[in-house]
Amino acid sequence: MSVIFDIGVVALRILLPVYAIVIVYQCYAAMRRRRRPEKPLVTLFDINTGRKLPVLFWENTLGRSKSSDIVVDDPAVSRSHCVLLRRKEGWYVNDVGSKSGTFVNGKRTRGRTQLLIDDTVRIGDTEFQFRRGEEYTDKIRTNRFFSKVSQKPAMKSWKLMLLITLFHLFMCIEAVFWNDGSNPNSPMVLFFALAAVEWGFFAISYFGLKRVNFELESLAMFLTGIGVILLIRQVERSAYVQLIAAVVGMVIFCIIIKFIEDPDKSARFRIPAMIFAVGLLLMSIVFGKVTYGAANWIYIGSISIQPSELVKVIYIFIGASALDKLQTNKNLLEFMIFSAVCVGLLALMGDFGTALIFFVTFLLIAFMRSGDFKTIIFAVAAAIFGVTFILNFKSYIADRFKAWRHVWQYAQTDAYQQAHVLIYIASGGLFGVGIGNGFLKQIGASESDLVFGLVAEEMGVIIAFTLAVAVGALVIYARAITTRSRSTFYSISACCAAGLLVVQLALNIFGATDILPLTGVTFPFISSGGSSVISCWGLIAFIKAADERTYAVKR
Amino acid sequence: MKRILRRSTMILAVTLVFIGGLGFLATELVMDAEDWVDHPFNAHISDNGGLSQAGAVFDRNGEALAQTIDGKRVYNESESVRKGLLHVVGDNSVNISTAVQSMYRSQLTGYSLIWGLNMPKSLRSSNDITLTVDAKTCAAAYDALSAYDKKGACVVYNYKTGEVICSVSTLAYDPQAPPKITEENESEYDGVYLDNVLSSAYTPGSIFKIITTAAAVESIPDIYERTWECTGSKEIGGSDVTCVEAHGTVNLEQAMAHSCNIAYAELAVEIGEEKMTEIAEKAGINDSVDVDGVKTAKGLYDVSKANTNQLAWSGVGQYNDKVNPMQMAVLCGAIANGGKSKSPTLLKDTSFLKSLGIDINMSSDGDELFAPETADKLDKIMRYTITDYYGDNLFGGLSVCAKTGTAEVGDDKEPTAWMVGYAKDEDCPLAFACVVEETGFGFTYAGPVAETAMIQAAKSLGASAVQ
Repeated sequence: MSVIFDIGVVALRILLPVYAIVIVYQCYAAMRRRRRPEKPLVTLFDINTGRKLPVLFWENTLGRSKSSDIVVDDPAVSRSHCVLLRRKEGWYVNDVGSKSGTFVNGKRTRGRTQLLIDDTVRIGDTEFQFRRGEEYTDKIRTNRFFSKVSQKPAMKSWKLMLLITLFHLFMCIEAVFWNDGSNPNSPMVLFFALAAVEWGFFAISYFGLKRVNFELESLAMFLTGIGVILLIRQVERSAYVQLIAAVVGMVIFCIIIKFIEDPDKSARFRIPAMIFAVGLLLMSIVFGKVTYGAANWIYIGSISIQPSELVKVIYIFIGASALDKLQTNKNLLEFMIFSAVCVGLLALMGDFGTALIFFVTFLLIAFMRSGDFKTIIFAVAAAIFGVTFILNFKSYIADRFKAWRHVWQYAQTDAYQQAHVLIYIASGGLFGVGIGNGFLKQIGASESDLVFGLVAEEMGVIIAFTLAVAVGALVIYARAITTRSRSTFYSISACCAAGLLVVQLALNIFGATDILPLTGVTFPFISSGGSSVISCWGLIAFIKAADERTYAVKR
Repeated sequence: MKRILRRSTMILAVTLVFIGGLGFLATELVMDAEDWVDHPFNAHISDNGGLSQAGAVFDRNGEALAQTIDGKRVYNESESVRKGLLHVVGDNSVNISTAVQSMYRSQLTGYSLIWGLNMPKSLRSSNDITLTVDAKTCAAAYDALSAYDKKGACVVYNYKTGEVICSVSTLAYDPQAPPKITEENESEYDGVYLDNVLSSAYTPGSIFKIITTAAAVESIPDIYERTWECTGSKEIGGSDVTCVEAHGTVNLEQAMAHSCNIAYAELAVEIGEEKMTEIAEKAGINDSVDVDGVKTAKGLYDVSKANTNQLAWSGVGQYNDKVNPMQMAVLCGAIANGGKSKSPTLLKDTSFLKSLGIDINMSSDGDELFAPETADKLDKIMRYTITDYYGDNLFGGLSVCAKTGTAEVGDDKEPTAWMVGYAKDEDCPLAFACVVEETGFGFTYAGPVAETAMIQAAKSLGASAVQ
């Protein structure tokens, strides 16, 4: 009898990884589908030559430079002449410091100037008539992510959600079987709470906000749920704290999307946001309590928060901007100073991991904004920050570096965590020992910094890698929607938010497995920690906002 | 917008680096996971239940040394076998870290890369391990060794195949009923988890004269014409070097056979620090021996800070000299092999090819510890030591070459008794090393243990001389 039972258990364990792969695949497959066909939004008709130029994006640069979105081969046109952009109210043209100026219906423009159909725009010696998109009939090369999409309609959002809820149910059933006898049914109670949150959010998004798509949220929900359930066999209370934090994260997710609906209006909040971010960091230095060597927690009553996590969201917000602003205001000094202050304050706090995440994200944003050569200067400036705080943490780093790649030698001292992570990853095999059945949970920080090991031990290496790839693939998605975003504000913030998550993920996984000499950052969505979950939901709000359907299409 | 897309390639690159890192991690996992699992602090296998589904451990003749019956770990029925092989087999805990049940616990418990340790117990297939040791020999050696109630070790190994026939370490306890070691009784069990064959290094005393002899025959051309005057004591380098008795006039062979300290002390000084160190290094004294991945304790020969008197004493195995029992057995085996050592192993090759009688020796030839002609000279002189001094009937008709040692350890402790050597018989290629702490003369205390172990081991190999 017990053999039949055991065969059932093994079958379930083999099923779960396959199931996880299916879910992650379906999430991304659904993201590709139900797109509008790629066709020009408007057309520029060259009055002199009769040539038609398609305007494909919501924001387009016009200029002589080959890298312009619309290349105008005219010596009198500046390399980067003007920006043509679409807003809710209509189309605008904005001169970005050209030599000869931009003229609408013969009048030189100052700032953003509205364009109506059949208006004429003159740049240099070239004159365009502004026409409707249907005028352009040639075929357009499409992005690989969206091409070759099968005609099969995407899996319905509710079906995808059902798959995810079922996955979480299987996890909870597993957790019921392995218990110390004290709370055998608590995983099921947690499951119902989790399912209520999942479907509650789905209902709000579907019926309340009338969104057509829910894949990104589904993916985040899938990951969040796994993190919550993993906690049930560790500290039951934490599971509920994590779930409540996830709800707060979802609320913030919605607020951010609403807040950045108009990229021009929200840009006005850049300075207050900067001050708020620096204030948050300062607060944790002044009131911070030192935990695991870093003073990055502040306590308000019984609630503890990690301000540095929330600052990540603000940081992405401040880093992005609309295309015409990007072209005119090439000066990054403000952003550089802000970055330096953030990294410096984090260094002071002793939060080396987060400081490094900010540092790499700074490089990514700086490159996205400025392009090539300037980044080198940024890198140099950034390296100076780097050296400064490495010196700051010398003894701590030296200890960790000593044990790096020598975990077995220091298995009982400096590399205690890493050694145990490797042991238990190997012990779990491809399919894991079962939720709650692992031993890594007895090691400190196993539910946060070492959670990759916990997932690998209890759910198997396949699931652990699948979850890592699921987060990593956000970058592919963010890039795929880059040119279809309603503004570069969204595309920059989406790509950088995805990049930040990947950097954080890399530090988490490779730190815990002794590939990098660093621990202390969280696995996005899965690691235990309210602030971390909230910030992850906040970050994917930028990716969601970059999807043009979020604002444009309603059910 | 196009520019932004192009620049975002940088973020894609970061992501690709991340994916590459995952690939590296996966590769590491596939290559090393088996080693990762095998750690005493792996809670999946280190608790007492860890062996409840484990495979059995057999000796070379298929006798079960440890097996699981109805979920309980059961050790051999003979108490002498249990205690004698405690340090080789191990107990339910992983306290004896070099033991097979600690080292290969994941293999015994049925670990696999795909399933990890996650198979439910009813479905898990476990693996048996067959050792090269002979239970009877180990029991006999243990009985002889434990009679002194002192710490010690006895190892016998086949210098042609590397198979360890006997490996016994005292003190030992019964793995079937391991003692509870508390603060009150911990001094009684001091060092009980240590396998002295592998993990201890002792002052060698006169057995080190093998090294000094090797250095002498290589660096002094007229060594066989030389004689030394022994009056029982002689001042060398400002202090006395003493012998147990006055040996009178001795040549090299007599000096070795009678273990004359004065002759060897003078030799060490004459040979000098450089050549002594060179020969000791070459013989592997300062290295450890690899036994299936376990590194033995290293010996020590370091006279870089020694004065003349200390250099003299180093030549007779005193000063700060140290050797390990397994190392000495391998060293003696190398002399028998014409200078080349053979790495010892405790794991019997039970592969399919072997069962068909096809022997593919994958292990490369061991290191050359002695030049062939030096090994030949040592062989003769060690054979002379037995035939001339101790008598050849000692080892039941085996042609044994050996050297005894009585190492002074100071602190008013009785000396450490040593006997090391090997049998020359074609059908009994065995080398041995035997050591007993705090007893007395090597021949008196280590001798009988070595004799018992060698004769029993020879019988188990079916050697004609002992039938």
